[in-house]
Amino acid sequence: MEIPLIGKSKDIEKIRELIKHVSGSSLNVVITGESGVGKEVVAQNLYYKSKRNNKPFIKINCAALPEGLLESELFGYEQGAFTGAHRKKRGKFELANKGVLFLDEICDMSLVLQAKLLHVLQSGEFSRLGSEIDIKSDVWVIAATNQDLEQSVKQGIFREDLYYRLNIIRITIPPLRKRPEDISVLINYYLKQYASRFDNKKFAKPNLDLLKKLNYYHWPGNVRELQNFLKKGMVIGNWEELVDELASCNKTEDNSILPYSARNIVENLSFLEEKNGADLSSFSLKKIKKKALEKIEREVISYVLGKTGWNRSKATKILKISYKTLLTKISDLDIKK
Amino acid sequence: MGKPYKLLIIDDNKEILTAICAFFTNKKYVVVCASDGLEGLKFLESEKKGFDLVITDIVMPNISGIGLIAMIKKKHSNTPVIAITGWGEHPEALASEAKADRVLEKPFELVQLAKLVDELLG
Ligand SMILES: Nc1ncnc2c1ncn2[C@@H]1O[C@H](COP(=O)(O)OP(=O)(O)OP(=O)(O)O)[C@@H](O)[C@H]1O
Ligand SMILES: [Mg+2]
Repeated sequence: MEIPLIGKSKDIEKIRELIKHVSGSSLNVVITGESGVGKEVVAQNLYYKSKRNNKPFIKINCAALPEGLLESELFGYEQGAFTGAHRKKRGKFELANKGVLFLDEICDMSLVLQAKLLHVLQSGEFSRLGSEIDIKSDVWVIAATNQDLEQSVKQGIFREDLYYRLNIIRITIPPLRKRPEDISVLINYYLKQYASRFDNKKFAKPNLDLLKKLNYYHWPGNVRELQNFLKKGMVIGNWEELVDELASCNKTEDNSILPYSARNIVENLSFLEEKNGADLSSFSLKKIKKKALEKIEREVISYVLGKTGWNRSKATKILKISYKTLLTKISDLDIKK
Repeated sequence: MGKPYKLLIIDDNKEILTAICAFFTNKKYVVVCASDGLEGLKFLESEKKGFDLVITDIVMPNISGIGLIAMIKKKHSNTPVIAITGWGEHPEALASEAKADRVLEKPFELVQLAKLVDELLG
């Protein structure tokens, strides 16, 4: 079943446009993005919009199988090719003939298999294990990963030549938190989808204003997490509580990362209650904002540094700031071990 | 002198794109600039009469130069293509495999590029 690519953000619109323009090309594609952002949806959309859509769409997860098994799954084998190969078996490359082969979690493929995959992509041929006969392959290879492919190339765990060979078309799906405009349309779409599954129609509908709060949540599990949240809400029904739960554990995973709360600031403002004694000349919202920001930054950076054992480059990765910025902040904010 | 040649130039590096476009705009060319592969492809599809020549970067987001060359050679096989590649990248082999007519490695002098253009249009 074709899943529409829902979203009204510029990012999704651009991806839709890209799909339209490249779906007829059969050029190798790499789709990257965090877990749950919709890599598989994009792969399926490419397939459905192509002329290959009446041929198979075969998916294989390269992380799920040990090297030997993955190899025989990909290329198939002849009878007696190895112990246990009682009869010949066709591999995914053969099954996907004239269709699409979706290689999920491509970064997890071993270097040995990467070399074999490269060979197939270069020559357009492969052979079953235990056979010398070359089989012509006409498959559209679409690969996906939630890892940093460029980093993997730098680290030597992903072959550079294979990288260039696959990366002919590159589709990068940003995480949901970077495109909050999509949250409400996804919610509407999936609420309708799930509603049709509840035959008694008695599920609890959420208040749409309430759901706006979700735009500020950071959705580490992206669209998949959003789906699970909606399903849970429809079953349990106490939307308010569920939304507040999410909204409060915002920016976490490692929620303790924000030991800061607005209440702190307001407590510091208690001097305003003093009937006449308070000196308000030095008070301004701007100053408060600056102080509050500094306070948050100091606490967050110290916390992350503490967690990483003061490994600054690790900390920069978590904080998504440059090394130079981190050093400046450490000295400006007077952060100590 | 006949009609000016129509060039399509594609590079995601703004400075390089501006420099190349400016250089050829001064000459006997009409220049169309695109800042990534998708934009370039859209120009190719919408330009009815086609381009006389395409100059494209190789490593770009969304549609790489390799992809673009492959698509050009499939649909407009007579359009010559010059591929320009950044240093430290090694897709030159791919570029010629994709049938780029010429491959030029960055950094290059604009006159070198002009020479290749003359050669191909010549
Ligand atoms: N733009 C979208 N429109 C509609 N549904 C979406 C969209 N993005 C994601 N989904 C849905 O969210 C769920 C997760 O998407 P998908 O499986 O494609 O993610 P993924 O990027 O492949 O994740 P993983 O890295 O964990 O494999 C799926 O049920 C998918 O249908
Ligand atoms: Mg997936």
